[in-house]
Amino acid sequence: MRRLSAGLTAGALLLVATACGSSDDGSPDAGASSGGVTTVKLGVIPIVDVAPLYLGQQKGLFEKHGLKLEFTTAQGGAAIVPGVVSGQFQFGFSNVTSLMVAQTNGVPVKAVANGIASTGVRGKDFNGLMVKKDSPVKSAKELEGKKVAINTLKNINETAVRQAVREAGGDPDKVKLVEMAFDQMPAALDQGQIDAACVVEPATATIRSQGGREIASPLIDVAPELTVAMYFTSTQYAQQNPDVVKKFQEATAESLAYAEAHPDEARQIVTTYTKIPAAVLEQVVLPKWPAEPNRSSIEALMKLGEEDGLFKKTPDLDALLP
Amino acid sequence: MKGVNVALGAAGLAAFLALGEAVPRLGLVKEAYFPPTSRIAGALADEVTDSAFWSALGDTLTGWALGLAIASCAGIVVGVVVSVVPYLREVTASTIEFLRPIPSVALIPLAVLLYGTELRSVLLLVVYASFWQVLIQVLYGVQDVDPVADETARSYGLGTWARVRHVLWPTALPYVMTGVRLAAAVALILAITAELIIGAPGLGKLIGVAQASQAVPEMYALIVVTGLLGLLINVGARTVERRALAWHQSVRGEVAV
Repeated sequence: MRRLSAGLTAGALLLVATACGSSDDGSPDAGASSGGVTTVKLGVIPIVDVAPLYLGQQKGLFEKHGLKLEFTTAQGGAAIVPGVVSGQFQFGFSNVTSLMVAQTNGVPVKAVANGIASTGVRGKDFNGLMVKKDSPVKSAKELEGKKVAINTLKNINETAVRQAVREAGGDPDKVKLVEMAFDQMPAALDQGQIDAACVVEPATATIRSQGGREIASPLIDVAPELTVAMYFTSTQYAQQNPDVVKKFQEATAESLAYAEAHPDEARQIVTTYTKIPAAVLEQVVLPKWPAEPNRSSIEALMKLGEEDGLFKKTPDLDALLP
Repeated sequence: MKGVNVALGAAGLAAFLALGEAVPRLGLVKEAYFPPTSRIAGALADEVTDSAFWSALGDTLTGWALGLAIASCAGIVVGVVVSVVPYLREVTASTIEFLRPIPSVALIPLAVLLYGTELRSVLLLVVYASFWQVLIQVLYGVQDVDPVADETARSYGLGTWARVRHVLWPTALPYVMTGVRLAAAVALILAITAELIIGAPGLGKLIGVAQASQAVPEMYALIVVTGLLGLLINVGARTVERRALAWHQSVRGEVAV
């Protein structure tokens, strides 16, 4: 027993020592720099959308601009915004509505580079409002009184689904929106627990492969070529490191253009950071990766969001967008 | 006796695996969402050849072990100090009862804000959840000290440290061991949950990526790994408990039967 208590004491001391030793991240807004190359941490969700940056990193486009990306994958936007604002990551990836919600809540975020846009082609978008094969529902109007799954309430997909219902001539207030993770939607739809689901790839491809039908392309109903998500930083970091932000913008724009021009390579790199099965990946519709955000589409998204009461006050797009 | 138990355990597991194979094959659940055991086993075989799997396993075990060790040490020290210092128990009782039921996962936003998606976020959740398991057991254990023994020690002029060492600790140790064993399981669950939700490196993160990728067999394969890990940890904790308490009548009694 003496040995046990001695062991416990030694263990405790060791832990205290290691706990103290490992808490030296440096100042959060520094970004480690060595030999002219600045390493920046980028918070992303491991999905198809962020393929261009993985590709850009692999092709040396970031290195060319003196940057090295360190990818930090989080499971959802919930971890990325606080991570960027607290300086854990220098940049992050988030949908535009989330950024506007954050800004109107006084969270200091600044979009710096474009992320993804909808393809603008109905029936061939990465996002769709889907029903199962034998569903009687033919249009978004018929969703009144029905249960529709979206990934996050009071966010971009709520705006999109409500707009799709409105466009089809229905009353969005009569639709029962339920919150559900994208990956659970195919099974829930199949089992009849929900009547429709607003999904993104690869769940869209899974539902299509089961014979599911698309009754609306909700992002296109918001704006023909909607800017859906962007890369952002904290306003503090943007002010203190304008040169790093500029390098990141240039390298990201090049990466987006490269991925847009080389869709096969973009598809290929997705296998390095997700587990999407090869058969599903072939069917996946890639988003558009324009180098610049589409301001008028973001204004449309903002107006609809305001109508649906998503923001505490009107977002300041001049301050938010690059 | 022990051989029979192992055989029974193996038989139970085999029956369970057979059920897992039969349920989707009979069409009770769709294969696409719940693959049969054989397909999960195939995915598991693929996983173990992947170096990413082993580094994730290492990350999870690091988070678990560090978290458990910190929580155990802190729980024991705080428990003993609270019990020994007069009035401290009364002062802290309501605070402990207030903090204890707060679910660790509710602290995820705080963890992310402080530490991002690193190991330290996982540690925060693991330590918070398992600390109470140990602390409460230590407090119970100290309450169980025989007042006569304590008085005797006092009248023989033993100091506080000597009484903690020779009277309190031997009485409390079985409770402490129970607390650590419970904490070991809780720590594993929280480590994987934290990885799954926050995205800190580890098995939980791999499960999350497989889920988001619609890679169903891989997802179940990784879930099976976490189950096996829990089983091993429980067996390990019981072994340590038996060794450490070999002198105690509860364990001696068990052996005699």
